[in-house]
Amino acid sequence: MPKHDSRIDGTGSDKSLSNHSNLSNEHLLGLWAEQQLTESQQYEFEQRCLQQEEFAKQVETYNIFALQSEHYHDDEVPNWDRESTFDMPQKAKWWQWQGLPTLSFATSMLAIVMVLTGLQVRMDDGAMTISFAGKQSTQEIDRLVNDRLVEFRQAQQVALTEYTQALGQQQMDASAQLTQYLLGASRKERREDFAELIKYVNEQRGDDQLFYARQINKLQQNIYAKPDLTGTINE
Amino acid sequence: MFEKTDQQLITKALQGNKQAWLNLLKRYEKPIYNYGMRMTGKNEDALDLMQEVFISVFRNLASYRNEGSFKSWLFRIAHFRCIEFYRRKKPTQGLDDAPEIESEEKSAAERIHTTQENKQLVSAMQRLPLSQKAVVELKFFGQFTFDEIAEQTGISVNTAKSRLYGALEKLKILMEVDYA
Repeated sequence: MPKHDSRIDGTGSDKSLSNHSNLSNEHLLGLWAEQQLTESQQYEFEQRCLQQEEFAKQVETYNIFALQSEHYHDDEVPNWDRESTFDMPQKAKWWQWQGLPTLSFATSMLAIVMVLTGLQVRMDDGAMTISFAGKQSTQEIDRLVNDRLVEFRQAQQVALTEYTQALGQQQMDASAQLTQYLLGASRKERREDFAELIKYVNEQRGDDQLFYARQINKLQQNIYAKPDLTGTINE
Repeated sequence: MFEKTDQQLITKALQGNKQAWLNLLKRYEKPIYNYGMRMTGKNEDALDLMQEVFISVFRNLASYRNEGSFKSWLFRIAHFRCIEFYRRKKPTQGLDDAPEIESEEKSAAERIHTTQENKQLVSAMQRLPLSQKAVVELKFFGQFTFDEIAEQTGISVNTAKSRLYGALEKLKILMEVDYA
C-alpha cells in the first residue's frame, strides 16, 4: 500500500510551476498510489492537490477507500463441498484404455490388408519368409517345383522297383510251378511207359513160355510117338 | 512446522493427491470467497463463483508454469470466471454499464454479516460497473500493482489507471451520499 500522505501542506512551493508535465491526473494518481513518484512528479502531485479540488477529492477518496479496505473484515468461508473441485479423472482400467478402439481398428485394418494382399508368413529352417500372393519369387517357385519333382521321382522309383520285384517274384514262382508240373508229368508218363513195357515184356515172356511149352509138348509127343529115336539117342 | 509451498502442493495435486489440493484450496478459499462477495454482493453467488473458480483452477493446474505468483494466476482465472458469471446472470448488461441495483440485491448486501464498514464498502462497490469494480477489487483488496492488474484483466496499464480513477469519482459521490 502506498504511504497515503499527500503532504498537501504547501511545502516545496518554492519550485517553479513551469515544471508541469503532461501527466494526466489518472497517471499521476496511479504513480502516487504505487509510490513511484519522482521528486518533480511529487511536486506536481502536491500542486495539483492544492490547485485542483477535484483531484484533491480523488486523492481523499482513494485514502478513505484504502483505509476502509485495510479495515475490511474478511468473512469466514461457509462450509462447502470442497472435494467437488477435485476433478481428477479416475485412472482408466486397462480394458477402458482409450487407445483400445484405435488398436482394434488398426488390427482389423491390418487383417484386411493381409487378406487382400495374400500375405504369407513362413518359417523354414529357422528363417522367416514374408511374401505376398502373386509376388513370390520365380526362384522360390522353381525350388518348390524341383522339390516336388524330386519327391515324385523318388516315389515313382520306389513304386517301380517294388512292381519289378513283385513281377520277377511272380514269374519265378510261375516258372517253378511249371517246372514242377513238367517234371511231375514226365515222371508219371515214364512210369506209365515202363509199366506198359514191363507188361508187354511180361506178356511177351508169357507168350514165349506158352510157345516153348507147346514146342516142348510137341517134342514130347514126337518123342513118345517115335520111340526108336529115343533109344538111338540114348545109346 | 514447515509449510509446503504452493508449488509443492500443486505438484502433488497434479499427481492425484487430493489432500494436497485441499490444502492449497484452503489456503486461498478465503480471499476468493471474499472476492466473490465483493464482486457479486451475494453469499450464494460468491459460493457459486468460488466453486467455479476452483474447478477451473484445478482443470488448468497443469498449465500453470510457475511464472509469477500462484495468487496472481489464481486471481486472473477468478477475474475471467467472474466476467462469465456476470454475463450469465445479466446477459443484457455490458461490463462498463452501471449496474441496476435491484431491491433484492440491496437486501442481500444488508444480509452480509460483517461490520458496518464492510457493508458500506460492498454496497458502494455494487454500484460500480464490473470493469471498474474489478480494478478496485484487485487494487485495494488484492494489493496488486497496476502492471499485475493489467496482466490479470487483459487490459493496458493506462486503462487500469483510468478505470480506477473513474471508479474513485463514482465512489466519492456514493460515499458522500452514504456519509451524509
